[in-house]
Amino acid sequence: MNFIKYKNNLYPLIAILSSLLILVVGLVMAKSIKCTYFLIFVLFWLIMFGCYKQVIKMSLIFIVIGGCFTIICYFSSNKNIISALSMLNRFGAVFIAIVPSISVKPVAMTRNLSQLHTPRSIVLGLLITISYLPVLKMEIKRVSEAMKTRGVGSIFNPKIFYRAFLIPLITRIVDISDTLSLSIETRGFTLGKSNYTIYKKEKIYFLDVIYILGLIISIILVVLL
Amino acid sequence: MTDREKAIAELLESLKDSKNTEELYNNDRCDNKSATKKVFDKFKIKDIVFLAIITTCTLITGAIMPLLVNIPVFGIIQLGLGLQFSIFPVIGMMKVRKPFSLLLQSAFISIFLAFMFPPMVLLLVCSIVVELLTLIVFKGYKNDWACVFSGTLYMPMTMPLLYMYYNVFYTISGNEKSAVSMFIGCKNYGMIIGMTIAVILLCFVGSVIGMVIARELKKAGKLK
Repeated sequence: MNFIKYKNNLYPLIAILSSLLILVVGLVMAKSIKCTYFLIFVLFWLIMFGCYKQVIKMSLIFIVIGGCFTIICYFSSNKNIISALSMLNRFGAVFIAIVPSISVKPVAMTRNLSQLHTPRSIVLGLLITISYLPVLKMEIKRVSEAMKTRGVGSIFNPKIFYRAFLIPLITRIVDISDTLSLSIETRGFTLGKSNYTIYKKEKIYFLDVIYILGLIISIILVVLL
Repeated sequence: MTDREKAIAELLESLKDSKNTEELYNNDRCDNKSATKKVFDKFKIKDIVFLAIITTCTLITGAIMPLLVNIPVFGIIQLGLGLQFSIFPVIGMMKVRKPFSLLLQSAFISIFLAFMFPPMVLLLVCSIVVELLTLIVFKGYKNDWACVFSGTLYMPMTMPLLYMYYNVFYTISGNEKSAVSMFIGCKNYGMIIGMTIAVILLCFVGSVIGMVIARELKKAGKLK
């Protein structure tokens, strides 16, 4: 019964695959009006499958940037609507292709890669890269606050930036990595071939299958019709 | 057995032990020598962790990427990211002096950059090319200048690939020619050459800064 359960997030690999499909089809068929219909369909399809927040975010950026370039293109090509449309389609394809990718949680992506027996070094690296983003932001803040406390001067002075910001920051990074690697090793993590389990497995649901099938069918229709 | 004899026997045993330990030490040294001779060393956990954290640093400083991708000027992405994408990878390579350390960093970062701008996955291809060039020229990363060499070439390598991408994306031969070619400068070869030289110089400066930082940390005993 779990297979037909409703869920908000797409299966990570299906999301990435769909991003690629949208981007390629959108760029290749940009000059055709069929591409516009395809992109509108994809937009509704994504909203139906729970990506409405990401669609709203991307739509706002697309309206500003895509709109500007479409207007430039329209006037520069002697008010040629087809040229303007192709420009709009290209920008639309890029922005819509981003939607399924950003709807995937990085942790889900990492779990999915683990399930698919991706080398553990890659999975470990990805996990650290994701989880240490806020930690490093904090470190950068701390170093800059320490600079202010000492009253070393402006950060825009290259000498001060190098001596008072860059060197302490890298030193902290080295310390953090040493501590982290030690704690990983003491917990028995190995990079060699060893059996391991995944805390929460990512599963393909019926909705994921419908989502990707709908996308493939629409691509076939756009190409054939 | 008298006390004297016992003492002699113990002394002999301890001598045997010391001989064994000496042999073991010599064997260890031989192993280490053979390990240093190897070009392709295995990555350890601490290597992966350091590369991942340094990649996080690159990612944070490269957060201006989503703003740059929407400015259709040839090489603007590389010009904006050149410094960050040369300083941190060079530090990473100077700590983990093993082939494919740049490839690993690219793998960690390209997944996130793909969300911002999908063609940046091409960084993976660039890193493979740069790694191969470094292996051919320097035969590894033992030399500091090998790290600078790969750090300098890493970002500029994406330029020809992005040039092709822009050509497809904006279709220069179409009606958009007049407006778009003005932005991209594809017909303006002076601009292409100028931007390429500027990016290479910027990446070289960044790589040298990275090398200087790594050397300083090594002196301080932080970078072993």
